[in-house]
Amino acid sequence: MALNRKVAIINLTTGQIESKPIPIDVRKKFLGGRGMNAYLLYNYLKPGVDPLGPDNVLVIGIGMLAATMASATSRTDVMGKSPLTDMIGSTNMGGFFAAELALAGYHHLVFLGKAEKPSYLWVHNGEIEIRDAASVWGKSVTDTQWTIRKEMGDEDIKFAVCGPAGENLVRYANVMTGIKNSAGRTGMGAVMGSKNLKCVAARGTLDIKIAHPTQALEYNKRFIDLITSAKVNQTMGTLGTPFIWGATNSWGGCRTNNFQYNQLRYADDIEPEHLDEISKETCGEYNMTACFNCQVHCRAKYKIPQSPLAEKFGLVGKYDEGPEYTSQGGFCCEVGCTDAATLLCANHLVDQYGVDNLEIGSMIAWAMELYDYGILTSKDTDGVDLRFGNGEAVLEMIHRICQKKTWLGQALAEGPIRAAQKIGRDSEKYLIHVKGMSNLHSDERATPGLALNIAVSSRGSDHLRSRPAIDLYHLPKDVMKRIYSSPVPFEGELSSDHRSYEGKAWQVFWQENCFMGVDCMGICKYHTTFLGATLPNFEDWARVVNYNTGLELTPTEIWTAAERCNMLEKLVNIREGFKRDDPHKGDVLADRYHNEPAKRGAPDVIGATIDREKFKGMRAEFYKHKGCDENGIPTPETIKRLGLENEPSHLL
Amino acid sequence: MEAMAKTLVVNQERCTGCRLCESVCAVKHDGVVNPMRARIKIEKWEHEGLYVPMICQHCQDAPCMNVCPVKAISRDEALARVMVDYNTCIGCRSCVAVCPFGAMNFNTIDKKVIKCDLCDGEPQCVRFCDIKAVDYVDAAKVSISKKRDAALRMTSAQKKATELEAEM
Amino acid sequence: MAEEKLSTQEAVAQTRTYGQFRCLNPSCTSRLSAQPGQATVKCAKCGSEWRIAWVKAGFPRVRGPVWETSERLADEAMAKKMAEKEGK
Repeated sequence: MALNRKVAIINLTTGQIESKPIPIDVRKKFLGGRGMNAYLLYNYLKPGVDPLGPDNVLVIGIGMLAATMASATSRTDVMGKSPLTDMIGSTNMGGFFAAELALAGYHHLVFLGKAEKPSYLWVHNGEIEIRDAASVWGKSVTDTQWTIRKEMGDEDIKFAVCGPAGENLVRYANVMTGIKNSAGRTGMGAVMGSKNLKCVAARGTLDIKIAHPTQALEYNKRFIDLITSAKVNQTMGTLGTPFIWGATNSWGGCRTNNFQYNQLRYADDIEPEHLDEISKETCGEYNMTACFNCQVHCRAKYKIPQSPLAEKFGLVGKYDEGPEYTSQGGFCCEVGCTDAATLLCANHLVDQYGVDNLEIGSMIAWAMELYDYGILTSKDTDGVDLRFGNGEAVLEMIHRICQKKTWLGQALAEGPIRAAQKIGRDSEKYLIHVKGMSNLHSDERATPGLALNIAVSSRGSDHLRSRPAIDLYHLPKDVMKRIYSSPVPFEGELSSDHRSYEGKAWQVFWQENCFMGVDCMGICKYHTTFLGATLPNFEDWARVVNYNTGLELTPTEIWTAAERCNMLEKLVNIREGFKRDDPHKGDVLADRYHNEPAKRGAPDVIGATIDREKFKGMRAEFYKHKGCDENGIPTPETIKRLGLENEPSHLL
Repeated sequence: MEAMAKTLVVNQERCTGCRLCESVCAVKHDGVVNPMRARIKIEKWEHEGLYVPMICQHCQDAPCMNVCPVKAISRDEALARVMVDYNTCIGCRSCVAVCPFGAMNFNTIDKKVIKCDLCDGEPQCVRFCDIKAVDYVDAAKVSISKKRDAALRMTSAQKKATELEAEM
Repeated sequence: MAEEKLSTQEAVAQTRTYGQFRCLNPSCTSRLSAQPGQATVKCAKCGSEWRIAWVKAGFPRVRGPVWETSERLADEAMAKKMAEKEGK
């Protein structure tokens, strides 16, 4: 059996480290990556603990296929209780750390307690050691990595690192690797900081055995070709993820000026083609870079061009990668800035501090709207002119938040709900969040399916848990039926119309299982049915798993395991106080989705709101698909069907 | 005239740094993923986004071949490659020390030297590299395409200079 | 391996089209095409107008809306919506 992998339990308080093999029956139930992390978290985390206290549990895990040659098996998943939402924290990054951790001998690391002083974990060919991090504490994301590489004389060490934002306990700090790859949501970097854990450094030369090498080479080529031949991936391989922002903004699906509008007009300077020109000018004709074993190569390289703004902040010529569409969201449409200078500078700052571009952009945009309405004044902002479109204010606020300087900087570092409580003055009603995490930059008022997705997402407002993005492609009904009826049949009606509420609950449920599946495999979401309708999923994974690892799983078994892992995430949330209609902990949208009509974009988007009653109907349907009661709590039959009746079972 | 054998060519500016070539190389030769076993290695300067695939050049007058004390290394002219005969090799690693490209590797698990063998004419690194940062082309054509690329660069640079001059 | 049948997704992928792109008005999504060098395309069905860019030769895509047209269509739609509301 090729699939012999290990988990390590690391107690940072006592220094004790325990290593355990992952039995195949546990593997079959929870697959790997995010699913296995959910199992470990549910078993090790006690309910109700302070997310920034020593009792929180941090789990770093990599996909079942990590370091095999299946396409883009580069993903690392990080879990814990979120200091942002006080519910499940879960976040995912690409890069090269996952493969290196596998080659170093481990698939999951569970951190308990808190180190006495700044420390880092060294993982090398099966050995694990807690080391002093004095030389890198306080250093930026990249400086930390370059320093340890230099100290050890090895350029191939890979890291999962928290930046200064994590050390300063900004509640939405990232775990990062390389230049910019970010596990960027729900504040897992702050959990690292709270544990005095600066980074995990991994280096390995252990063999990852491929079960059927000759066939695996053949099948992997076929699997990769299915991915790289898709138009979305060819576009992404040239323009990066900004093309997504461009398409969404074109029809009016990008929240602008916080939530005042749904389109950033005349934004040619930050359109993907212009960003590509900057990359070409500063980094050459071939300016795309890739994660481990990925042929899509969606990440652009750039150096910050000369501009008065870059000059003022001392950033001219700095090398970085991206920006991703989420940075266009956080630093362009949400804050009303149409210039590439703000985008490229802000993107660099958040990469260096190690902070979530979406959350920090949303917090600044929200503060700007409060400033627009006079709820915040220049006295509150310590002189920063927080008007929409002021790029200098965006950069200044990033510094203040990450360094926790000034009253407003400290307030915004606390995340939406705590900041609203600190500011008061009715500020909460302007927040665009679910479960205490700000929404990404997309505006879902015209797309009920996508709105349901953010409302029921386990980690708060987010597209990467269950977004039926292909709902916007007006796919023929029979094509939709084929995609959404595999591997389990769906007998109900599906609608090709993104404005409809019909069948959307099933699409969201299906996508939830698809995204859990891909996160368990440790494959990038751009390689499954997310942006491209015709990309691999359950049937293809069954094959790629078998050829690479020898594990035999049917597509339906993968589907059921994904359902099980999603339910575990839900169980964590239930333990932490989930209530269906609770504005802070429930499956609800901000009132503005129901009350404020969209004002810009394509003709049919104008005036769009989410119908409150129809939304509730869709949500009830979704609960039914999941096997939950009308309150969103799983029924005893569902718990039994998914084999979760003995959880926590403490098998690892 | 005898047909010229093909050769591996690196277009380093194209490399995205994904390292799939390393993975498939190790799987092809040893049935495992392990970059330490790969005959190709991407050297990275991550802080500036520079990635360079390093491979065996299959030199005509190969230093590894010349230095080998037991004559275990020889040229196979049919595929224009330099090969190690493991029945003769004593594992002294003189070849590793002398290779100017660092392309002769030492596999610390099996305790033997390893190098590119062009996968017997079907190099997997090339097959999997979509962007063709490594390519397998007729040896005679390598400089022809390089010449054309260079000529194009020079022409467009000249064009730009003329435009700038005109603006002044 | 050679006998491995096409998976659902591999089969669906055979319906892919290349060289065309869709109108980005989400309730229209008509298939559009452009000639090499063409800078804008107007959708015959819904009137939306798009600026075109080329991922590579033969592979056009929408770069963004022609803003003036987009703004005008949005204003008209808004006025219609308001009139409908008042009419109720």
